[in-house]
Amino acid sequence: MARPKTIRAPTTASLPSNLRIPSTTPSLVKSFGKLTRQALLDLVFYWLDDRNVQSFAPYLEQDEAEGTDDEELSPYPTEQTIDDVRNAYQELQVRKGGKREVIDRILEGDWRHGITLRQLAMVDIRYMNDHPSSLRWTALELTRIFADSAQPPEIDASAYIPRVHASTFLSNIQKQISPLVKAHYYLARSSALPLTFLRIFVINSPYQNPRQPPETLTDSSRVIYVAFPDSCPFVYTSIASTGSKPSSTHAVATDTRSLQRIVRDAVPKALSLPQERYTLKATSLTAKSLQALLALRGPGRSNRAHGAFSIFADAVIEGSPLDPRPPNTVSPEEYMNRTEPEKDSNKDTEDHKEPGTSATGKKSRPSEQDTHIPKKRKLAIHSRFGTSGYLSSAPLDRLDVRLLDRPGTEGDDEDDDADHAPPSLSLTFAGSDVISGIRKLAELGVVDPERMPSWMTGEEAVSMAVVHRGHRVVKDSG
Amino acid sequence: MSTTEPPKNMEEELDSEITSIRAEIRNLQRKRRFLVSSLLTSEPIRKRLQEYQASNPPSSRDKDVSPLLDAAEKHAETNHHRVAFSATTFPFKDPSPNSENPNLLGVRIDVCAGNGRFAKPYYVLLRRVPGEDKRLQVHRHTIPAFISVDKLERAFLPVPSAREEAQAEEPLKPWKKNAKKQDLTRFVHELRRQLATWYLRMDAVNLLRGKLGVVRRSVAAYHDDDDGVWTRDILSDNQEEIRLEANDLGIVSLSPTTLETTYIRLEWQDGRVGRFKLSHSGVVERAVVIGDHGRDKLLEAALTGGDAKVETVLDRLKQHLRGVPNA
Repeated sequence: MARPKTIRAPTTASLPSNLRIPSTTPSLVKSFGKLTRQALLDLVFYWLDDRNVQSFAPYLEQDEAEGTDDEELSPYPTEQTIDDVRNAYQELQVRKGGKREVIDRILEGDWRHGITLRQLAMVDIRYMNDHPSSLRWTALELTRIFADSAQPPEIDASAYIPRVHASTFLSNIQKQISPLVKAHYYLARSSALPLTFLRIFVINSPYQNPRQPPETLTDSSRVIYVAFPDSCPFVYTSIASTGSKPSSTHAVATDTRSLQRIVRDAVPKALSLPQERYTLKATSLTAKSLQALLALRGPGRSNRAHGAFSIFADAVIEGSPLDPRPPNTVSPEEYMNRTEPEKDSNKDTEDHKEPGTSATGKKSRPSEQDTHIPKKRKLAIHSRFGTSGYLSSAPLDRLDVRLLDRPGTEGDDEDDDADHAPPSLSLTFAGSDVISGIRKLAELGVVDPERMPSWMTGEEAVSMAVVHRGHRVVKDSG
Repeated sequence: MSTTEPPKNMEEELDSEITSIRAEIRNLQRKRRFLVSSLLTSEPIRKRLQEYQASNPPSSRDKDVSPLLDAAEKHAETNHHRVAFSATTFPFKDPSPNSENPNLLGVRIDVCAGNGRFAKPYYVLLRRVPGEDKRLQVHRHTIPAFISVDKLERAFLPVPSAREEAQAEEPLKPWKKNAKKQDLTRFVHELRRQLATWYLRMDAVNLLRGKLGVVRRSVAAYHDDDDGVWTRDILSDNQEEIRLEANDLGIVSLSPTTLETTYIRLEWQDGRVGRFKLSHSGVVERAVVIGDHGRDKLLEAALTGGDAKVETVLDRLKQHLRGVPNA
């Protein structure tokens, strides 16, 4: 029996979660292959759970009886019941083996009729939970827009915190972007971090069942992640914030970048309420590690106290008012009473690039000499860096700094001739954790801990900065 | 090969034993230090020591304990201030070489939580704004993001953004000048109030949960038996999920919507969900309960009725249940 021809009409609905991507799509193997064998099995057991099996129905013998077209012999026989399918995977669970056999079993066996968009989204989210540094995230701040005439109302000291009520938010964002793009949404809670992920897959077709090649449906460049940290007015996105570049000449641009821009613009609108409009503001922070974003733009105490001031954020200088010990007899580690295991801090893969100058461009030597650092320098390092890069860390993988000072001039008469543009110097630091790398350089005596500007200690909590005379210049004012 | 194995094992065993003993020693040393300093700060011991020192002239054989005593007394005094006034100030020097005004004014706010312990102190560091009048500006702080320090700063520590604009306006609106005055006391007062009421709200939620009975488990572990509604406890520091024990009120979940704990979400066995707003003074301000058949106005009235105190919410719900037997 041939399937009745579906009527194709443009709609404003979102892409359905149960839209199936043909299992023969080669890129599916790649998507699934990112996960470990155990993660794949966990997902399958979740799909086959009694409460979920309706949404992720596997291919059973009764489906075969309905007489779909495939005549060729599959290497995996169709199972009778869902329990049989479960048993098959239980068997894989106890047996050792590669992940390839699990993927083959999923794609060619039990889900040969296609992987739904939801399943694919779950695979991606699972990968992100397992590899929290797999994407680059940009932190954006939610700020309220006031009409020109309206004054900010009475003092209400609480900041605006996006309350993501899943279905309301999704229907709002759908309303915003549906005339322009078609999307599939998937909301998930992070397993380890206080975050909620929203995965949006966009496609530029108005039709319910798009006739795109199946590769488009697995194209990772069409996927946008938005993360909502708990209880703070920030939003993280995986979109590179190219910022104000709406210069596309086409009225309707259909490349993936402009689709992403549409979604990005829609997020604050979807969070807005009547009489309460919000916009997203860039905060010049982009990092791979979500942990770093949570430390620098998160719900905790450390948003505005970094570098030298991290001693306050971690409260390691004084104890509670009931502590009878004088603070100079207690070590910071003791105040930090939650002794975290040192996260591979010995792995010093710091490479210190300085295009233009080579004054401090030395490779950091192995850190065996740590034990005999002069006491004075040690003290200076402690006072400059506080606990950052030592007890607490917010690993930045990249730090871009543009210096507006003219190199070589320490004097103060430098802004009298405005006609020739001052040469600017850009520094880029890259590595697994830039700030602790600079701290290590200071310990080795490469960087003078007393004279270095405060942005080198991570005090500004940004990954991109324009610096003039040791101070960060905020773009709005200058 | 086999002959070398037993010593290796023994070596490892000894090593682990040594490390455990070292840890034990460190713990005991810490404990001793703690006890010594508590003794030194205690009033009777101090008096005894002073009496002893007054009667016996300090000889070279006895160790002079007076510096220790002085330090302990000073520390105890500081602590008394912190406990009594809750907001204390201290000077701090910004180590940055580029800072124009490296001398900062630090404000430390101590908040006592419901369990009798003090939370980690909160700090605000203020810096002087360059200019002839002594204006302050928040430089760094450790206040959680949901309390907007920016807003408080704008309200109580305003800094004229464009001086010439202010000067041009002044003759026209002389009363405006008064409004532009900075008020550090009120700023700290308001900030402390925000923090203290936040802790009170969290305590209220924990109290209600305690009354209903709570089961906790870690998030990381894989759980097969999903009996009941597990919600992540955002109020606890370690990643935990909690579930309420079965109770006669039929409430299966009670949790704040955000860390701020202004809105608290309730869930009943029969599918009704509710949310109420907790005010700064611990009053249930507004409440909404929605079930399958629309809003449950009676239950809403029970939540906000009476003295509307959050501590007695469960009693009111119990009364409501008794009054409406078929609910």
